[in-house]
Amino acid sequence: MIRTENLCKKYGKFEAVHDLNLDVRPGTVFGFVGENGAGKTTTLSILATLMLPTSGRAYIGSAEVTSEPATVRRLIGYMPDVFGVYDDLTVREYLGFYGTAYGVASHLIEQRTKELLHMVNLEERADAYVHALSRGMQQRLGLARCLMHDPPVLILDEPASGLDPRSRIEMREIIKSLRGRGKTVLISSHILPELADMCDEIGIIKRGALVACASVEVVTARASGQRQMCLEVLHDGKQLAKWAAHHALVTDVLVIEEQKVELLFAGGDEEQAEFVRDLLQAGYALKSFHEVGGSLEDLFLHLTREEDHAGKQTAASKQMA
Amino acid sequence: MHLTERWFGNPLWRKELRQRMRSGRTVLALSLYLFVIGAVAFIFMYVNVQGQTLLLQPARTAELFMFLSYLQLAMISFVTPGIAAGTISGERERQTLAVLLTTPLSPTSIIIAKFISSISFLLLLIVMTLPLYSIVFLFGGVVPSQVFAVFGLQSLTLGTIASVSIFFSTWLRKTGWSTVFSYATVALLFLGLAILGYFLDDLSAHSPDQGILSWLSSLCYSINPLYMQASLEATVGFITPAFHQPVVASVFSVVASHDLTSFSAWFTFLLVYVGGSFVLLIASIWRLRPGGLIVMKKRLVKWLMR
Repeated sequence: MIRTENLCKKYGKFEAVHDLNLDVRPGTVFGFVGENGAGKTTTLSILATLMLPTSGRAYIGSAEVTSEPATVRRLIGYMPDVFGVYDDLTVREYLGFYGTAYGVASHLIEQRTKELLHMVNLEERADAYVHALSRGMQQRLGLARCLMHDPPVLILDEPASGLDPRSRIEMREIIKSLRGRGKTVLISSHILPELADMCDEIGIIKRGALVACASVEVVTARASGQRQMCLEVLHDGKQLAKWAAHHALVTDVLVIEEQKVELLFAGGDEEQAEFVRDLLQAGYALKSFHEVGGSLEDLFLHLTREEDHAGKQTAASKQMA
Repeated sequence: MHLTERWFGNPLWRKELRQRMRSGRTVLALSLYLFVIGAVAFIFMYVNVQGQTLLLQPARTAELFMFLSYLQLAMISFVTPGIAAGTISGERERQTLAVLLTTPLSPTSIIIAKFISSISFLLLLIVMTLPLYSIVFLFGGVVPSQVFAVFGLQSLTLGTIASVSIFFSTWLRKTGWSTVFSYATVALLFLGLAILGYFLDDLSAHSPDQGILSWLSSLCYSINPLYMQASLEATVGFITPAFHQPVVASVFSVVASHDLTSFSAWFTFLLVYVGGSFVLLIASIWRLRPGGLIVMKKRLVKWLMR
């Protein structure tokens, strides 16, 4: 449903997207993960017809985004990472405006507005001015706006960014409900655990290239074997990092500071306890020790780092698949 | 979709009008404008008549007409950039443009909707003052066709200034810069061209290339709304008491010496204003197209390489 073929986008000499090949099957929720500046927004902007690629092609269904932008716009609902709203319109007017802009028949607009406001839990605020809504409500309204013309494809660029935990959960539940409606959703984020909960497949982009692509199950299985540990010592942090790097179960050292080291550890509780015992026996003055959450995300960072070392983009996707 | 529905049913235009007209500030601005212009008309008449309306001279009402029309022209030149210079850049700053561009609304319909919504408020201001102008007809001195011609010229000037402002608003990222450039263009149109025309006139008196210089100065005056409005009021301008004022006299002298009432002067004015507006709106539409600037650069390079 969403496909890119050797997609490239250059800003001067800087290559934001490099030979990107993406294939999102109809009816799936595809998570697009990458650090800030990895090329997620550029890719999504190209797919949303807001930007022309330097080379390569992108398709929504059978419509090519550069040669058939009008067709593509009818097929997609796009939600940018940061978007504004027309403050001095009411929620109902706001949706009505976009409904008309998308050519929805006037007799259907009221009905669809009602349905969507129910879906995003904004029914009671239908006649409130948009500026009176909270950030989370505005994000939900933005999602309802994307669905006004009932598009088969949704392109959501970090829809939960800047939201408080409660609003994030609400947004996640709404996106999950879209699965049941048969929508193909391409959603970007840099918070991987959040995506893992609602996506069927996940692709990782780094420096404009897709470095890994796999189903969520594969990713989760891979992630479960590793845990991220944070060790705080009184001094000799760098020395500790060197020591830990030689340990058989330490797969990567992520953060090295004078008094803090963060590392990925591929072992269970007993191995972890043994590791700490060894560390103390080696003479390091351990001040504190704890596990850091979001290991799934860190694993991905770790994987992308491996890709850098190997210099092969396709290896990881094969390995993970 | 029918053509009428496509243009008159443009959702963006309707939204813009709804947003603009529902605000309390708009009502206040309209009331204030009418109050000011009405007060000016009243004071002007009171000073000249001292309550004895039967003594009112047609020349005096003609002067009131001139005064009101120039006040209105000044208002147009001041207010239009303020309203139109933020149309697209404002959307960009509010981060609503990206979403708008992913709707099936074409860049052409977006620009046209923005243009119409910008000028419709100002046109409303102009139309609202019509009853005030009708005072002039009570006492004679001005014919209705003159009033309508002046309104036509002001509408065209307003449309051109709006096009200039939308052009800058589309090409420049910040509304601040767009506003500055729009006002600079208005200043150039009104003051710059007047000064340039004056210098060219002065030069032509002492130069062997008198023909070319005189033609250039005529060109400067004929694309200046200040002088072209005077050319519409020329028949009343010379008989008003205000004609004894040096500034007024100099304006009407230019109208006479450069024959700004001629067909060629009006043809130039219409060509520049209608053609200019058209070109600027096309350039704005082009810029609004995703990748429009890149495509333009590529085509330019290709053309230069040829």
